[in-house]
Amino acid sequence: MQVLTVSQFVTYVNETFKAIWDPTQVALEGEVSEFRVSQGQWVNFNLKDGDALVSVFMVLGKLSFPVADGMRVRLYGLPRIYPKYGKFSFSADRLELVGEGALQKALAMLRAKLEAEGLFDPSRKRELVRFPQRIALVASRESAAYGDFIRIVDERWRGLEIDLYHAVVQGEKAPASVVNCIERAQKNGPYDAIVITRGGGSLEELMTFNDERVVRAVYASKYPTLAAIGHERDTTLVEEAADVRGSTPTDAARRLVPDRRDVLYEIANLEQGIADALLTKIDEGRITIENATVGAERWLESFRDRVASLLRLVSSFNPESILKRGFALIRDRQGNIVSTMTKLKPGMAVVIGLHDGETGAMIEGKQGKLI
Amino acid sequence: MAKKKLEIDFAKAFAELEDIASWFEQGEPDLDEGMKRYERASELAKSLKEKLDEAENRIKEIKNS
Repeated sequence: MQVLTVSQFVTYVNETFKAIWDPTQVALEGEVSEFRVSQGQWVNFNLKDGDALVSVFMVLGKLSFPVADGMRVRLYGLPRIYPKYGKFSFSADRLELVGEGALQKALAMLRAKLEAEGLFDPSRKRELVRFPQRIALVASRESAAYGDFIRIVDERWRGLEIDLYHAVVQGEKAPASVVNCIERAQKNGPYDAIVITRGGGSLEELMTFNDERVVRAVYASKYPTLAAIGHERDTTLVEEAADVRGSTPTDAARRLVPDRRDVLYEIANLEQGIADALLTKIDEGRITIENATVGAERWLESFRDRVASLLRLVSSFNPESILKRGFALIRDRQGNIVSTMTKLKPGMAVVIGLHDGETGAMIEGKQGKLI
Repeated sequence: MAKKKLEIDFAKAFAELEDIASWFEQGEPDLDEGMKRYERASELAKSLKEKLDEAENRIKEIKNS
């Protein structure tokens, strides 16, 4: 006969549970009732089915979703007796919601809670820069989402530096992995944007991006965030907390970078506008010369030189547009450009080039005036 | 030299080009200044186009340390 003290007995029972109950192999499923949180950190509720009931204990920090009475849940943990009060309970390390109904309900509760805290407030949304240079990408390197995102970025843009933070995007380890990536990116910045993306999946598969810890990490990011999770119809809480939402990974790439063809066109337009404006200035300069008095001859000389050098500069860009403005190019018989009166003699044959063709001409007389 | 061109700050260079364009739109009468700005605009446009034609996107994985 062996006699145990009470402490020894409780320890013995708990050790026995530990030896026979493998939380990686066995889970406990049932319906939640009398759910309550005490001192802001301990969770107690009853888990029951039609015939039986067991008390459950959990640390609040381990709950990633709100739980309410009536939800069907699956618990991973150990049965044990709490030595001080002799109370038997199931001590849960992890709680999973079971069924679409429980997921939807938890999601609605969490959304309401975070919304009340202002996590989705439109007034705090930041805009993305038009030409990003360096971004952080939080995605699984093996995912189709990653491939799609990179492909569209490569199609549209050049010179972008992408720091990939490879994340586990599904399952038990995913929330911590995604949070870890976002937090590391905060330290390695600055980034023009943090892009978080994942392809489509069931509500259960996308739950990582409805996880409170992940949503808060996105909300807290000091760099603007762009999130695209799942398909168009799925909206996760992470996307609601992000500064910009993309409907799909492909759409996220389009929102991140402009199309280089559009930008090249814009550059060409700006350049042409500047050249045109400069030509107008030169035209104005010419009128000034014509109206100037002889007394300003020296000043005019230098002004004319400047006009001439501007013309050379501009013609290197687009000679045709100068001719279109009414200027002519005069060549002698040998094809040399005649740019000064001293080369002209009465009776000399020349070729006059205009923007749309050339014609022969004869010099009749000579006058010493300015153009 | 070629390397330096690729490292231009695209956003800054593009904004400078836009500034030059709006300076010309305002029709300032200074021809000397106009010439200088025109030259600068040509340089900027050239390096912006080069960047979009030549540079590649670079992906680097940041490992968990």
